Amino acid sequence: MRALQEAAALGAVALLAAACAWLEPAPAWERPPPPVREGPVVPGERLYRTTLPNGLQVLVLEDRRLPRLRLGLVVPRGAGVEERERAGLASLTADLMERGAGERDALALARAVDDLGADLAVSAGWDSTRVLLSGLSEDRDALLGLLVDVVRRPRFEAPEAERARSERLAALERAKDDPGTLAGWAFLRALYPDHRYGLPLEGTSETVAGLDAPAVRAFHAQAFGARDAILFAVGDVGRAEIEAFARAALGDWPSGDLSRLTPEPPAPAPPERRVVIVDRPDLNQAQIVIGHEGMARSDPERVAAGLMNDVLGGSGFLSRLMVRVRSGEGLTYAVGSGFSLRRQPGPFTVGTFTRVPETRKVVDLVLAELVRMQQEPPSPAELETAKSYAAGSFALELETAAAIAGSLVDLEVYGLPPDALDTYRSRVRAVGPDDVARAARTRLHPQRAAIVVVGPAQALRPQLADLGPVQVVQP
Amino acid sequence: MGSRARAFPSAPAVLLGFLLAAAAAAADVADPAARTRVETLPNGLTALLVEDRNTPVVSFQVWVRVGSKDESRYTGLAHLFEHMMFRGTKRLPPERHGQLIQARGGRVNAYTTRDVTVYFEDVTAETLPLVIDLEAERFANLRVTEETLASEREVVLEERRLRTETRPEGQAFEALLALAFQSHPYRWPVIGWRSDVEAVSVEACRDFFRTYYAPDNLVLVVVGDFEAEPALARIRRRFGALEAASAIPRNPTREPEQRGERQATVQFEARAPILAAAWHAPPAGHADAEALDVASQILSAGRSSRLYRRLVYEERQALAAHGAYWELQQAGLFYAWADVRPDASLERAESLLFGEIARLREQPVAPEELARAKRQLEVALLAGLERTSSLASRIGSDWVLLGRIRPLEERLAAYRRVSAEDVQRVARAYLQDARRSVIRVVAPAGAVAPP
Repeated sequence: MRALQEAAALGAVALLAAACAWLEPAPAWERPPPPVREGPVVPGERLYRTTLPNGLQVLVLEDRRLPRLRLGLVVPRGAGVEERERAGLASLTADLMERGAGERDALALARAVDDLGADLAVSAGWDSTRVLLSGLSEDRDALLGLLVDVVRRPRFEAPEAERARSERLAALERAKDDPGTLAGWAFLRALYPDHRYGLPLEGTSETVAGLDAPAVRAFHAQAFGARDAILFAVGDVGRAEIEAFARAALGDWPSGDLSRLTPEPPAPAPPERRVVIVDRPDLNQAQIVIGHEGMARSDPERVAAGLMNDVLGGSGFLSRLMVRVRSGEGLTYAVGSGFSLRRQPGPFTVGTFTRVPETRKVVDLVLAELVRMQQEPPSPAELETAKSYAAGSFALELETAAAIAGSLVDLEVYGLPPDALDTYRSRVRAVGPDDVARAARTRLHPQRAAIVVVGPAQALRPQLADLGPVQVVQP
Repeated sequence: MGSRARAFPSAPAVLLGFLLAAAAAAADVADPAARTRVETLPNGLTALLVEDRNTPVVSFQVWVRVGSKDESRYTGLAHLFEHMMFRGTKRLPPERHGQLIQARGGRVNAYTTRDVTVYFEDVTAETLPLVIDLEAERFANLRVTEETLASEREVVLEERRLRTETRPEGQAFEALLALAFQSHPYRWPVIGWRSDVEAVSVEACRDFFRTYYAPDNLVLVVVGDFEAEPALARIRRRFGALEAASAIPRNPTREPEQRGERQATVQFEARAPILAAAWHAPPAGHADAEALDVASQILSAGRSSRLYRRLVYEERQALAAHGAYWELQQAGLFYAWADVRPDASLERAESLLFGEIARLREQPVAPEELARAKRQLEVALLAGLERTSSLASRIGSDWVLLGRIRPLEERLAAYRRVSAEDVQRVARAYLQDARRSVIRVVAPAGAVAPP
């Protein structure tokens, strides 16, 4: 009887609890996450691709929601194919392409673009040079005309080249006012002492000083050609108009001399841990970059290594580095890690900053987390979180048609499978604990990291002296 | 999270086209903001909702009507407190809020300005219930402890070192606002003076929370791929129990009229000097705003703009130069800025920059410049419709600063009406030499070796 009463009382409590839960359901974080809707990434019905006889690829992604149009022409060559002594040539070439083309000198081109309310941006990366032009779709023909002028008929006038070079030299000097830039430059130099990757994308004062209009013209002739160029159009535009335009305006574009296609692989990085201090006696905060050689964009292990990096320092407040250095210790405002994926293996870096007296502590914490990633590879729970983060943020990054088109072009630049966006999430899911553990073992090298710190050498040197040979350099 | 004391507002993305064709292009666009559903809860909380199923994203923003201008004892408290909102509740440990959202791929962050504090999440639809629950949780059950405050204070001081103490542009901006505003609370930096950030107490945080984080001081904005009814039901359930504040105190101080030019020099280890100037201008929502925006475009937008042509291209004195109207809730500024080249003369750059400002006062702008500026502003207005987050920001900002959502067509029409005479009139009214404040950031003599 008593037992029965107790059971009844328990039942009442359970009912009451159920009623409360109905009134005030448990918060969403206490329940398992709902399934994620996972449609195709690339809207196939709105995507159109073709290739012209001269090799030019044409990609159109229709998106009629706004009367806007983005155009681009991309060639898969950038700073990576420059000679080291001419570092900055691709970047200067891109700059000069904005300074006069076809019938228009620099000012006339600027006016033509600005009159349309358009944006023209030509930029060189490590592995591609991109001409991007966006505006209103009703200006389609004018925009296409400007694009082709800039791509095929840049003027490269000597006075403009001299002006652009002078600006670059001034900008390189000014960039030294930014401690983070100084740290990045010194790190590249430490990692790739003899390779093009060791100098900034924009070059240095020494290399840029030697560039001129003939050098730019020659680079343009070599880098731009129809054979492996990609023309893309995104927005309020039809495939037929773009294809017809491409055939009329670019069908006779020569394939080009594309003999120098691939950057040289870098020599192995120095095998010892070493320290470089860029002396800025005035700073009360040290900028820190720690890293070593990484991997290429096409590396078959890049998805597993990317997930490993997400756990380490690539997923914001989820990552071990952020939890430890910021959330736990309050030593920094930001810390992150990543692989710079290029045609040849770019660097792996951890970047952060802290008040000068805590520099050694932060360096030790970072190195300890690199070692821990190897000794305690991601747990199944950590890996699941990293996968969910990677798949979810991937979908969010592709919110706009422009972002999708940009990613499709990126696949072409690196010769990756054209369906790689649609297969990405399943490739993420396929990664297992052993894959990330192997990536941690084979892709992280804390024992031979280059440690670069920008700040007052007098205070930093004693802190860092026993980490390896210390070199102090001026900005 | 990566909380931002916004260094500089992005160029005012505003305005519209005079060209008939341009006007037609924008007029064809349905403004999703026109479909905003406005709901007010009994406790005073306002929710603004726009369903848009053409995007895979839903943006959720909480606008709190408190910024650094509302601080009293401790400058920087509004921003430091924004950080504390990520540092745990009665039911959740520090940082879990952000981690739960990031674990599903969502973006989550916050920022503080002189006028407002904004918490935002961009997620896919299935994560919206989680976002609502997490946001309500911290507004209901925030937990501030000595320990979490001590560590977050250090984080904020690192942010201050990063943005202001180690960078010439941060020095210039901080000094400029402190010079242009002598009385108004806009004079202190959003991130606060170092001594104040070092001194903020747990009790001050709790007071701040009780005073300003009440539901009648909040505006929720939800835009994108979601269903309004269930979302609204959830918002009512989760936020409905918050208690309204009795009264929300505001600082009364306003800026008196400036009588005479102000100048100051900041010595800082910089190879490239910075020249920064500001003039007092009207607050958000003023009838002169559109003309000031057009002036901003003519000075700053594109390689054909006046400041680029004169300072960067023709005279080679600067690497970048721009001027723009910056509207705040209680007062505005028109600022002009030049990143002077290390190999150039600051005096020369200054005379060129102020020469261009004088030219705006003295001569009407050319018809093609006016048309170009309006066209650029129309395109920018359309670009603001592309992402749910920027649409949500426009809706939240309009509601908080103006008390209503300005329709796209209204803004188009206002820009269309701007004439060359209007631009000259506002330049004469606001951009007088005697009403400017000028900051020069230069290296201490002999400090940095010349290139």
